[in-house]
Amino acid sequence: MIHPSPPISDPLAAAGISRREALSRLGGGLGTLSLATLLAADAGGAVHATHFAPRAKRVIQLFMNGGPFQADLFDPKPAINQYAGQRPDTVNLRTENATGGLMPVPFAFTPSGSSGLPVSDLLPNFQRVIDDVCVLRSLHTDNPNHGPALFMMNNGTIIPTRPSMGSWFLYGLGTENENLPGYVVLCPGRPVRFAELWTSAFLPGEHQGTYINHSQLDPRQMISFLRHASREPSVQSRQIELLKRLEQERSLGRAGDDALDARLRAMEVAFRMQFAATDAFQLEAEPAAVREEYGEGHFANACLLARRLSERGVRFVQVYYGNGQPWDTHTNHNEQTKKLCADIDRPMAALLMDLKRRGLLADTLVIWGGEFGRTPVSEGGDGRDHNHFGFTMWLAGGGVRGGMAYGATDEFGFRAVENRLHIHDLHATILHLLGLDHERLTYRYAGRDFRLTDVYGRVVPDILA
Amino acid sequence: MRIQLLIPLTALCVVLAAASARSDEPPAGQAAETPGRPIPTADDYAFFESRIRPLLVEHCHECHSRQAETPQAGLLLDNADGIARGGDSGPAVVPGRPDDSLLIQAVRYTHELVQMPPAGQLPEAAIAELAAWVERGAPFPPTTGPDLSSAGQPVAGQPIDIEQGKQFWSFRPLVEVPPAPAAGQAWIERRIDAYLMATMQTSGLSPSPRADRRTLIRRASFDLVGLPPTPEEIEAFVRDDSPDAYARLIERLLASPHYGERWGRYWLDLVRYCDVPEPWAGSGAAWLYRDWIVDALNRDLPYDRFVTLQLAADHVPDARVEDIAALGFLGLSPTYWKELKLAPGVIQVVVAEEWEERVNTLTSTLLGVTVACARCHDHKFDPVAQHDYYALAGVLASTRLVPRPLLPAGEAAGLLATLDELRTMQAQVDKLLAQNPVPPEDKTKADELKAQIKALRKATPAIDEPLAFAVDDASVHVLPDGPHRTMVEYRAGQAQDVPLHIRGNPLNPGDVVPRRFLAVLSQGTPEPFQHGSGRLDLAQAIFDDAAPLAARVMVNRVWRHHFGRGLVETPSNFGAQGDRPTHPELLDDLAARFIAGGWSLKWLHREIMLSAAWRQQSTPHADGQAVDPDNRHLWRMNRRRLEVEAWRDAMLAACDSLDRSIGGPPAELNEPANRRRTIYGTVKRRELADLLRLYDFPDPTAHSPARLPTTTPLQQLYVLNSPFIGRQAELLAARLQSERPADTKAQVSRAHQLLFGREPTVGEVTIAREFLAQAGEAGGEPSAVAEAWRQYLEVLLASNELMFID
Repeated sequence: MIHPSPPISDPLAAAGISRREALSRLGGGLGTLSLATLLAADAGGAVHATHFAPRAKRVIQLFMNGGPFQADLFDPKPAINQYAGQRPDTVNLRTENATGGLMPVPFAFTPSGSSGLPVSDLLPNFQRVIDDVCVLRSLHTDNPNHGPALFMMNNGTIIPTRPSMGSWFLYGLGTENENLPGYVVLCPGRPVRFAELWTSAFLPGEHQGTYINHSQLDPRQMISFLRHASREPSVQSRQIELLKRLEQERSLGRAGDDALDARLRAMEVAFRMQFAATDAFQLEAEPAAVREEYGEGHFANACLLARRLSERGVRFVQVYYGNGQPWDTHTNHNEQTKKLCADIDRPMAALLMDLKRRGLLADTLVIWGGEFGRTPVSEGGDGRDHNHFGFTMWLAGGGVRGGMAYGATDEFGFRAVENRLHIHDLHATILHLLGLDHERLTYRYAGRDFRLTDVYGRVVPDILA
Repeated sequence: MRIQLLIPLTALCVVLAAASARSDEPPAGQAAETPGRPIPTADDYAFFESRIRPLLVEHCHECHSRQAETPQAGLLLDNADGIARGGDSGPAVVPGRPDDSLLIQAVRYTHELVQMPPAGQLPEAAIAELAAWVERGAPFPPTTGPDLSSAGQPVAGQPIDIEQGKQFWSFRPLVEVPPAPAAGQAWIERRIDAYLMATMQTSGLSPSPRADRRTLIRRASFDLVGLPPTPEEIEAFVRDDSPDAYARLIERLLASPHYGERWGRYWLDLVRYCDVPEPWAGSGAAWLYRDWIVDALNRDLPYDRFVTLQLAADHVPDARVEDIAALGFLGLSPTYWKELKLAPGVIQVVVAEEWEERVNTLTSTLLGVTVACARCHDHKFDPVAQHDYYALAGVLASTRLVPRPLLPAGEAAGLLATLDELRTMQAQVDKLLAQNPVPPEDKTKADELKAQIKALRKATPAIDEPLAFAVDDASVHVLPDGPHRTMVEYRAGQAQDVPLHIRGNPLNPGDVVPRRFLAVLSQGTPEPFQHGSGRLDLAQAIFDDAAPLAARVMVNRVWRHHFGRGLVETPSNFGAQGDRPTHPELLDDLAARFIAGGWSLKWLHREIMLSAAWRQQSTPHADGQAVDPDNRHLWRMNRRRLEVEAWRDAMLAACDSLDRSIGGPPAELNEPANRRRTIYGTVKRRELADLLRLYDFPDPTAHSPARLPTTTPLQQLYVLNSPFIGRQAELLAARLQSERPADTKAQVSRAHQLLFGREPTVGEVTIAREFLAQAGEAGGEPSAVAEAWRQYLEVLLASNELMFID
């Protein structure tokens, strides 16, 4: 087993808890600790060495749960309209539901940016940032069913028993800010699969995602137990001081015990987290101009929260677009798509511009996409079915080459045919950007070494900047 | 070769496998130049070198050559032999017949499973050239250098040597080696101690002094019942001068009905128990299984019987009706969604994933062998062949998850039929009433049906009988259901052998493998299972052929929970990749006596807890620390951190709010008013309660060999801010006030007795007084006093002493 982190048999080390340092800290300020000293402690984390120099230090994923249709947005296919109503052999593929002939795409595309990449006119703001975006048009996955496809995208398998991508990131990279959870999941409600999507499974529990329903914008409502219902922080700091005095009294004459010290130290961090997290989730703290730039709505709020968390060192922020699966447009596809795009366009563009202005885009990888795409053929006349044969995602920042498109689907946008990218390949490439070798990021469990990419996956060098 | 559409997502198992072991395969190296085929000409070779080799090099060799780190699918396309032999799916080419050649089908993307290269189709011209090459007979120039294809390359696939495999330490019969005579006889209480003393002496170590009585009773109580002793129990034990005081303490705890709760929960981790399985798994009463486990342990049901009933209560002749609940071991297996609108091939993959999970849970729990590693190829490290995996998978492919009331078979069938009938009637009612508007005659019809439902329920006395998650024998078949759908069919009472899945892919079947036990653990050649699905045969083989291993694994689990460290530190992996025992002779001796004593777990607890080793202090001494800081030799007791269950239960017990009732339906743990023991907190497979999620409770989607304790700020946020902790502090404050009214020192003292089983030190009392005075006690105003005490007691509840046991 080769892994970049401390030996995993030592959970304290894996938790990034240093030993002698913790002890000396405990001894140091006894009896004199005040609220101010507690809060002033450094928020550094335990960053692990990577396999090679990372291009990205953190990741934001914008998850269009339900699955958007590639040829509406980033992968124009005029042949769909040319052959509207027909069902040529190329599109005679079995998906979840019965489908009919090709359903025309009523949306126009504009060559955008200096790269001239075509972007749908449904996304006028996003057209302006396309030069920072690498469009991947040749994704494919294993199963055209939401649950298994969500698991594949998140956990690298179609079944819910493996650690999520984000927990692998944390396991591999450690945390940059221990006053915040390292892996945050934002959803204004619940996606159709739940905690399995951000589980740490057999990885240590500290690597699991912290799920936050941000439809309530009060930070106290977002994280379980973040703040006490009535206790003043000054009282809590006195309680922590008492705890430390008592622990020291009890350990008199005994050698220090790392496990006990670690728990005390975690108490101090928890105390600070109350304020650090409250601050990180405080959207009101943003200037009006920035709020305005992102726009309104849950998704806009999530994008802005994602930026606030990323700049504070949260490794992975995963944003689910909405409750349930809003992009699952089996009926009335075009009207729904218009509304959905109007909702994502501005925040998505604002996020990239904002990250760039702050110098964060260079080492923040942004991922966009659904668990699969949709069919060019119609379902029931005005809907589109799930499509795992071919779909589009995009990446931006974090060492990815902007203003390019990679891979291609067939002439109707149904099936990936050129430079095909399986989800395992996507995972391998993301880990690569984070400085991690997907074949060496392993964890020994139940007698085997596990990887995010199982026995598959290849890094795609063509899209690296 | 990478399978494009339906990738078997098995674990990372290193690709070392043999091609399938089918005996009708042509011997390697013959296909390319079969007699009767034209002998390749120089022109053929030139064609190959100019057109074909560059194609292979550019598009295929990355994954299919001896340069590849692990040749995918065992296929080598850089030598004639490799092309002829092919990979897991058989020969890559049929010389002269491009249309029948897998290689050509794959590059044309016409093969159902295999489409190569994975990143996209080759240009049409290249495909045509490859086809032309096969048409010519697939000529491949002889290599001039040494042929490396058989020089220990992984694809060569050495068959597993079973006899040699049986020599591995954990697969050998138990060897009883009496402990070496050692000095320090006075210290020795049990045979265990003699073994430990011998190795300590070899390393120049000496044992630690015996722990004091307070420590011992606290340690023993948490170990056996998961609850702290009451101050009264402590005082009685401390004052008891009789020589058998300690032995009686252990007996009392072993006889407690709370023993089964403590040890049952350990078992539930192994079998990924949950109260609420997947939404489509039905709404049975999972807790019947949990309660059966608790009760079986309390009755000290022999471990072999305990497991046999869990695997096959429906086949055990003298099983009681209640024992049907034991089938929850398999009955509560995770199931994965099967979307019947998808093709049968997709659903077969899902079903195969379920088998793997079940094989893994069975073999990891009971045998400490990671058999599931052999789903795609022979086990890389252990003598477990892919055939062994499918021999067990057949048992699970013949076992169906079913709801069953705990009633005699006839009555059970009757009740299930009635429930079916009621469901059908209810569905009719719903359909009638779903109309808008409801025609009057349909309204009448619905009312009649409702009356019939009511009458039928009334006429069925067992109607509210809870349904256990059980299993029965039925073979599962995934079949097309018309052109657009799939059905999963169970054939009741039937069993089936399943074909080996080449490289784990159910759509690529190999030999059919008879259901049987693992070869390496069988005495002689394993015989096919005889009884139905084979679950009973499997249980018998485990406790007959594999009894030594089964006993070693269970003894080690019990040892590990008592000492905080196993004799083998990988409790579910006794294979080559697992840990080696620190004390092999001790482990074998205990395992042999465990079997001889009728597989009694209570005997095992007694044997361990009456040892001098278990009664040592946990405080390290400098000599020991210098030689063996990890305490592998057990020269002291380990300080252990309580699991979340015991920690929460201890708080409830100390605050006098614990509901000690045993068994029954679970209760939501996120509800702060829940006062039941934590084992009765609702476990949802897909969403754990906050407390469980934060405190390292294992993911109930899979077997958990051991919990991995973590220390995180989110845990401490729970301590700081959760209503549960606040409520316990409040209850404890009220208790102290009523038991020791208006006496600060007495209250502090009582709090320490209740929480930590001891008196506070002078320093602790002083600190407490200072804090309380500052926090508002000094003023004497009742609400301020109460608040001061809440703050103080919250800190005591947060103390390490409540979470760590010496």
